[in-house]
Amino acid sequence: MGSMFRGEEVALVQFFLPTAAAYTCVSQLGELGLTEFRDLNASVSAFQRRFVGDVRRCEELEKTFTFLQEEVRRAGLVLPPPEGRLLAPPPRDLLRIQEETDRLAQELRDVRGNQQSLRAQLHQLQLHSAVLGQGHHLPLAAAPTDGLLERSPLLQPPGGPHRDLRVNFVAGAVKPTKAAALERLLWRACRGFLVASFRETEQQLEDPVTGEPATWMTFLISYWGEQIGQKIRKITDCFHCHVFPFVEQEEGRLGTLQQLQQQSLELQEVLGETERFLSQVLGRVQQLLPPWQVQIRKMKAVYLVLNQCSVSATHKCLIAEGWCASSDLPTLQQVLQGSSSEAGVSAVVHRIPCRDMPPTLIRTNRFTASFQGIVDAYGVGRYQEVNPAPYTIITFPFLFAVMFGDVGHGLLMFLFALAMVLAENRPAVKAAQNEIWRTFFSGRYLLLLMGLFSVYTGFIYNECFSRATTIFPSGWSVAAMATQSGWSDAFLAEHPLLTLDPAVGGVFLGPYPFGIDPVWSLAVNHLSFLNSFKMKMSIILGVTHMTFGVVLGVFNHVHFGQWHRLFLETLPELIFLLGLFGYLVFLVIYKWLSVSAAGAAAAPSILIHFINMFLFSRSPTNQPLFPGQEDDKAGILDASDASVAGWGSDEEKAGCPGNGEEAEFVLSEVLMHQAIHTIEFCLGCISNTASYLRLWALSLAHAQLSEVLWAMVMRVGLRMGRELGVAAVVLVPIFAAFAGLTVAILLVMEGLSAFLHALRLHWVEFQNKFYLGSGYKLSPFTFAEED
Amino acid sequence: MLEGAEFYFNVDHGYLEGLVRGCKASLLTQQDYLNLVQCETLEDVKIHLQTTDYGNFLANQTNPLTVSKIDTEMRKKLCREFEYFRNHSLEPLSTFFTYMTCSYMIDNVILLMNGALQKKPVKEILAKCHPLGRFTEMEAVNIAETPSDLFKAVLVETPLAPFFQDCMSENTLDELNIELLRNKLYKSYLEAFYKFCKNHGDVTAEIMCPILEFEADRRAFIITLNSFGTELSKDDRETLYPTCGKLYPEGLRLLAQAEDFDQMRRVADHYGVYKPLFEAVGDGSGGKTLEDVFYEREVQMNVLAFNRQFHYGVFYAYTKLKEQEMRNIVWIAECISQRHRTKINSYIPIL
Repeated sequence: MGSMFRGEEVALVQFFLPTAAAYTCVSQLGELGLTEFRDLNASVSAFQRRFVGDVRRCEELEKTFTFLQEEVRRAGLVLPPPEGRLLAPPPRDLLRIQEETDRLAQELRDVRGNQQSLRAQLHQLQLHSAVLGQGHHLPLAAAPTDGLLERSPLLQPPGGPHRDLRVNFVAGAVKPTKAAALERLLWRACRGFLVASFRETEQQLEDPVTGEPATWMTFLISYWGEQIGQKIRKITDCFHCHVFPFVEQEEGRLGTLQQLQQQSLELQEVLGETERFLSQVLGRVQQLLPPWQVQIRKMKAVYLVLNQCSVSATHKCLIAEGWCASSDLPTLQQVLQGSSSEAGVSAVVHRIPCRDMPPTLIRTNRFTASFQGIVDAYGVGRYQEVNPAPYTIITFPFLFAVMFGDVGHGLLMFLFALAMVLAENRPAVKAAQNEIWRTFFSGRYLLLLMGLFSVYTGFIYNECFSRATTIFPSGWSVAAMATQSGWSDAFLAEHPLLTLDPAVGGVFLGPYPFGIDPVWSLAVNHLSFLNSFKMKMSIILGVTHMTFGVVLGVFNHVHFGQWHRLFLETLPELIFLLGLFGYLVFLVIYKWLSVSAAGAAAAPSILIHFINMFLFSRSPTNQPLFPGQEDDKAGILDASDASVAGWGSDEEKAGCPGNGEEAEFVLSEVLMHQAIHTIEFCLGCISNTASYLRLWALSLAHAQLSEVLWAMVMRVGLRMGRELGVAAVVLVPIFAAFAGLTVAILLVMEGLSAFLHALRLHWVEFQNKFYLGSGYKLSPFTFAEED
Repeated sequence: MLEGAEFYFNVDHGYLEGLVRGCKASLLTQQDYLNLVQCETLEDVKIHLQTTDYGNFLANQTNPLTVSKIDTEMRKKLCREFEYFRNHSLEPLSTFFTYMTCSYMIDNVILLMNGALQKKPVKEILAKCHPLGRFTEMEAVNIAETPSDLFKAVLVETPLAPFFQDCMSENTLDELNIELLRNKLYKSYLEAFYKFCKNHGDVTAEIMCPILEFEADRRAFIITLNSFGTELSKDDRETLYPTCGKLYPEGLRLLAQAEDFDQMRRVADHYGVYKPLFEAVGDGSGGKTLEDVFYEREVQMNVLAFNRQFHYGVFYAYTKLKEQEMRNIVWIAECISQRHRTKINSYIPIL
């Protein structure tokens, strides 16, 4: 947990890797995943780097892998995930893997090619037999005059020269999408000299390339004249038709058909044999490919890192630079020594000074990851800045719960999260790909705490699905009120609303031990009571939260040695915040404690006091809360003003030495910057405090919405029938509706909205008091898979 | 369309305009060209292109890599983008896209007919055809023997059909006639496209009309230049000039009479737009050719088209810029593969 407080110390380190052992060293570093390498050759373009040849060979290999993978996928097989820990192979293994891959790919290509050509032949045969078997009647040959008139009225058999011309045939098949265009083009190009008949095949044929079943249009064209024939052949070529020889005699056709069927049977046998062989080859690929893929990917990554190294003057070693946590340095040293011992010269790593801001490294575990994620989504912390995440672990679920307070809803959320937490190690849950599910799953610990805190605040608000529970006896006694004021039966019948007066003895026995007294749920002024309570609670929580933020800034100033900021920034900030809003909180609590039921009628108004404080005025009707309050008010205001003034003016003077070191110091800019910062903080205090009122608003909205749901759905159902049977039948759908709406609206929708507001309160109101978030993450070179 | 199309433009075409502007941002930068020029082999070119928006478009090419493979893949990529635009477009933008493809279709038809004349196999020529100008009946072009045949049998259903009105003839298609056919088709195509843009009005007209005017004038100049020393008569030459340019009518009449390059230059001197272009042309020994100068001017106009919003010109400009970029890459790749590095820097920079 200590490392969560601020980012770890990160140092710029330099590696001296002996050329012979550089590859092994980097691959070991990749297995460790502790260092982020810096590119020392940024000015050299990608293809002029040292190891570009090796990278290219890896890429070449990956290309072959893609081919193999595609083949496996096309065969409907899945590649099993590689097993065990696979290290990056030594460079000499690349050649072996390359050879084996090439051999495998060649084999696969051959077999696949065989299979393709066999399939194409088979397809051709099937098409041919389909064309022949289609039974296009031969209009021209049989009856040159009758059949034509219907199809092609333009063709008037002239009975002259054409009669003597021989009628020829072209038969073939074309894809159905192109049939219409083909027919039109034929008609336009050779009108009058041909008759074409098109027909769809009855059964679907497998496409030789894609393997998908498709129907074809077979056609039979009869034409006169050789020139037309050439034209037709060209046109059919252009539409990629399959054209087959067409024997005119019926018997001849039948004979060919039989022959074709015989051939296709034989072909199918050969094809089956080829496919068996193919599946053998694919099985080998399935076995070998996954480990190779991982290995080569690692190898390529290593070479890409080596490309970022510069070469030492003597060419004996490579020099790499990188960021790494100081605490990991011994581990690095050990690993480097181990992996370079073979080469005789050992690799060396040592820290070097640097002026750049190092990256931020905060190690998380599965519990803290989601909270760190919330902070990082706003901005990754500056190097070694105070990290808000550890506090977020508690404050985030708490502020959420303030807005979501309901025992029932909180419990449901808690149980849902608990189920996810308990099942987190199951492979099925881990492997789920649904994006929404993954979002919820990665925030399961967050949800768990949110649910837990909601149960707690639910008890405080005394609400469970909007109903109050009576765990302890109520602190109010109606009986006492009735006897004391002597309510008669007639009085009770006339007055539907009765007032319980706490000033009357015995009516108010004492505060409820925990949370809101259940009697309030019966009262008509329930809402005004709760509003007053929740509003003040929001202010108190908000001011506390913001003050905490300002105090966290102290740790930043101390750590970075900016003592002047401690006195000239944090101190005035604290005085201003606590002087104005801390005082307000004090007034609220003081009034809660000091004003009793007896003096309630004459209780002073905090609101008027607070406004008067700024206006330097007094109102005679509003009595002071405590003696000497007016003087105190003036004093506090003076102190606050003085602090603002002092802070605004002194800040810049102190800012000079701090900023002057690096950038050119421009007084006007610093002045402007600080003035803006001062104004921003002062205005921010007011608007941020007001912003915390969203706690009140959302918790009110949530309570009212669940109240409405109960009153409009469940209560209606409960009132519907007095008889047992009716009630039972009616309650089933009513309860289903109630449960569905509770989950959809109150849990999911309201939950998301409360989450959003809690997020805003943390990002804006809390973190702007101390957190810059202008850093960048350490992204180490690692072979580990991302979650 | 109504006045002030800005109000409605995004309803129909906003998505595509956003997309095309994003694509435009992916054009190679000056730095990329500097890096490309430094490459030693085509493999280096490939590695460098991988770092740009081309990505690993050459990843599945078998070795050895050739310039034509790069060219084909680049064209395919452009074609994919264009198809995407086209498939998602609404009228009248889709008509605009159809007009854009027409020029490629004309080129393809002419290419195929020339191939048929020289008895080359169709497959070989098909590979050279621009994928943007592909259409189903294309391969059947070689069955036609006269332009009217071509029209009636093959092209009547394609978008090219309207451009045929001026060139129906029964002449057999020899090399000269094919060239005439190409220019006539181009002339009526440009005029039709110009009319379409003009009628469309709005920013589209303001952007597209100057570009098309320039295109028309460029064709007129190039036709004149190419006709020197051929059997083409001056009257015939005049019929080939597209009439939608700035040169029309006076300049075209003068151009028709021009007999050598200097006379052409004198015609251009009358026009403020073209004078500087002709001045930039180097003499025979070195410097830029007229074509390069025209290309540069075209690039300039196309780049400027992106400065205005709510018009179709961006699609035209993007396609043309991308084509220029492809020409540049091919030029550089050719220089590298032929080890002829002296002229490698004479690509047309895209500003």
